[in-house]
Amino acid sequence: MSSANPQAHAYEVSDTAEAIEFYYEKGWTDGLPVVPPTEASIRAMLDAGRLEPGQEIAFIENRQISVTAEKAAINAVMAGCKPEYMPVVVAAIEAIGDPQYGYHGPAASTGGSAVFMLVNGPIARELDINCGDNLFGPGWRANATIGRAVRLIMRNAIGTLPGKLDRSTLGHPGKYTYCIAENEAESPWPPVHVERGFRPEQNAVTVFAALAPHQIGNQLSNTAMGVLTTLADGMRISGSVTGQPQYAVVIAGEHMRVIGDDGWSKADIKQFLFDHTHNSIAHLKRTNRMPGAVLPEDETTMRPLVQTPEDIIAIAAGSKAGVFSAFIPGWGGKNASQSVTKEIRRP
Amino acid sequence: MDKQIRIFDPTITPKEQALRYAPRPASLQGKKVGLVENTKYNSDTLLLKIGKILQDEYGVQGMLMRRKRSSGVPAHEEIIRDILAECDVVIAGVGD
Repeated sequence: MSSANPQAHAYEVSDTAEAIEFYYEKGWTDGLPVVPPTEASIRAMLDAGRLEPGQEIAFIENRQISVTAEKAAINAVMAGCKPEYMPVVVAAIEAIGDPQYGYHGPAASTGGSAVFMLVNGPIARELDINCGDNLFGPGWRANATIGRAVRLIMRNAIGTLPGKLDRSTLGHPGKYTYCIAENEAESPWPPVHVERGFRPEQNAVTVFAALAPHQIGNQLSNTAMGVLTTLADGMRISGSVTGQPQYAVVIAGEHMRVIGDDGWSKADIKQFLFDHTHNSIAHLKRTNRMPGAVLPEDETTMRPLVQTPEDIIAIAAGSKAGVFSAFIPGWGGKNASQSVTKEIRRP
Repeated sequence: MDKQIRIFDPTITPKEQALRYAPRPASLQGKKVGLVENTKYNSDTLLLKIGKILQDEYGVQGMLMRRKRSSGVPAHEEIIRDILAECDVVIAGVGD
């Protein structure tokens, strides 16, 4: 157990209400009130991750910022995390510090992405990370505060401030929090972390620089091809279209059963979506997404939405009821930022 | 009223870096200029226009354009190597 006093600069206030206002005045919140981080709550957070205060969790090269465990813990307390969430927060910060994620691009870009987080493994059930009803909505402490902790660390520790090193033109609500789990218990498919080489009993978080989720509805089809045709049609012109980012698709309850019952694997889903989301160069030019005059050959020259089928992350999650699924366009292009999966290590 | 709660600073100050500008040539006469194309549409057109102005009005003798992998990432190693080997000055930037 860590016994050292926090190294961070301390301030003294009279009560909790004054503390909350103090953090507002300092510009250290996301706009919502924060939980004032005290010595005891910071220590509990560090102990839950068995972390030394000065331990480096990530180094953000472009910003020359070493994110220490203590600063991560302070922000996790502020976000409202329980101490047992800390290993998930740590793994997510390790992931956004990975060069493959390329922190500076998606964090600073006018393109306005959030850090989408998918938690896999038994820890998701233990921490009650929602994978069902109202998947992207409010109501679950773990979803709300783990994602918020990551954003507060980005803001306070890494200096990702709107109008400064976060130049998002629009941003989206996922920048408050954007954390879900996969419905591994009911999914007919292997979970994302297993697809990426982890064992089912391991815990992992996948981060992905993402735009907002887009819902599609299909209550007519009882075949995989029928449902996925609707999904592909929604995806085809979305996000930056020509940048070829990665995508996530969230297949919810009824669609999950229809597609699963048809015997389609995740690989089948990805291949179908890849094959059915090409755009003609002519269309991209006519709609001002590519420059230049439309040439005769542009009518039949096709550009895929993503570089490969594996650039689509397929996730089983969402309510059992309802005929809706979603796609999530990634930020920018795969050449600038890729999804990263890290193991969640628990003491 | 006595102060009763100690609360802590969540921010981090970046490591200080000593940055210095490369020495500027007194003149561009006879120099070769590197142009780092950032992949955004029309960035190549803009850079070539700038290069032409430098040739026509400032006596630049040659240009070398290299394309980044994406506007969102720094120039990769080969670009830096080529420009170091061949160019006297370089123009790079990103914007919308």
